[in-house]
Amino acid sequence: MTANPKGPANMTKTGMIDFRGVNKWFGALNVLKDITLSVEPREVVVVCGPSGSGKSTLIRCVNGLEAIKDGDLVVDGQRLGDPATNMTQLRTEIGFVFQSFNLYPHKTALENVTLAPIHVRKIPRTEAEKAGRELLAKVGLADKVNAYPAQLSGGQQQRVAIARCLGMRPKIMLFDEPTSALDPEMISEVLDVMVAVAEEGMTMMVVTHEMGFARKVAQRVVFMDAGAIVESGTPDEFFSHPRTDRSRAFLSKILRH
Amino acid sequence: MLENFSFRTIVEYLPLFGQGLVTTVWLSALSFLGALAVGIVLCAMNLQRGWLFRAPAKAYIDAVRATPLLAQLYFLYFGLPRLGFVLPELVVGILALSLNSGAYVAEIIRAGILSIPRGQVEASVASGMTYVQRMRLVILPQAFKVTIPPLLGQAIVLVKDSALLSLISVAELTRAGQLLASDRFMPAEGFLTIAAFYLLLYYGLKGLAALSGRWLGTAGART
Repeated sequence: MTANPKGPANMTKTGMIDFRGVNKWFGALNVLKDITLSVEPREVVVVCGPSGSGKSTLIRCVNGLEAIKDGDLVVDGQRLGDPATNMTQLRTEIGFVFQSFNLYPHKTALENVTLAPIHVRKIPRTEAEKAGRELLAKVGLADKVNAYPAQLSGGQQQRVAIARCLGMRPKIMLFDEPTSALDPEMISEVLDVMVAVAEEGMTMMVVTHEMGFARKVAQRVVFMDAGAIVESGTPDEFFSHPRTDRSRAFLSKILRH
Repeated sequence: MLENFSFRTIVEYLPLFGQGLVTTVWLSALSFLGALAVGIVLCAMNLQRGWLFRAPAKAYIDAVRATPLLAQLYFLYFGLPRLGFVLPELVVGILALSLNSGAYVAEIIRAGILSIPRGQVEASVASGMTYVQRMRLVILPQAFKVTIPPLLGQAIVLVKDSALLSLISVAELTRAGQLLASDRFMPAEGFLTIAAFYLLLYYGLKGLAALSGRWLGTAGART
């Protein structure tokens, strides 16, 4: 693989995730507008904003669940859309946690965690199962290894989903509103696991409105509206001193209750 | 009228009905296996993105669904010899049933695959699985469960459709009824008896469906 002649992105020092002038349209709708954002290794970035602002689309672009239209997106040194980039290979380095968990319903918790390590990473089954049990224990589900997703609560399912990602030993973890589908009393058990993952130095992009989480582990909060990044700063700057009318209006809505 | 109904003749013809029943069962079973093979290939073609495979698969499925099975059967029975393929009636019959049922099976399997939520595809894509891995490990095992009941429904249809093979003189169940009807001039006895046998086959397949439902219901139910 040679350096990509098109952009300086591959040659200069870059972040783990580098958006440079990224645009995306759904039909006529400009869902991502000229996004420039760099996430450093071990950094935790929280993305927030009103519904439809493009925050989910933003992180779905990072592992290629959505394709970008123009601009450059470089992840772990590889430019997305470049013929030299093996997307399947790159995805093994990126964990993705969905709002709706998306566990495999025909597999037990342990099988959910070990499926990709065994078949994609080619880790021997016994080794993968040992690691899988450890991961499930780590997310507090040591007693649920043989349970099927339908037998687990939402919070438990989401913790299995996080363990499933960790089983691949990824360099990056993406979270798409991981607690939005959960009952209130289950949110903290999932956030606790996410805090633990962040504290181990994982590079993370998290779409969430959980401000407690953002304050605790995020180095940066990115606020999006109508497909553009409107504001970006430390959690303290953003929550205490929002700079734009739109972010103030947004915060007043989510912090009111 | 009922005093004219001859149970004795039915008993006399039982060996013939027995042979017909056995033939119907195995030729239906063979045809269903053929239909599964045809259906899987058609469905795989139909799920491709490019039109190169999709268009012929769709055209085939439409052609089969739009035309009567009897016409298809005659087309093969009378048409193939003219193209130089002279095959035994039984082979033509199994071929016709396989090719016909295969089109319906293809649509059943496709519906099963498409019924799997998008999130399952996304989760497996995100974990770095290839298309083949994702199909084999995630999509097909789930699709399999939802397709079993409609596939057994199609099997029931196939068993009944196999009666048409009597028209190209395959010695199956309906043919046995026809023989009794024409030999002894007893259509009521002949056709009522085969109806009873078809009913028996129907309950057999239905029992199989119930069994498979119970077996599949044991693990991995969706929330």
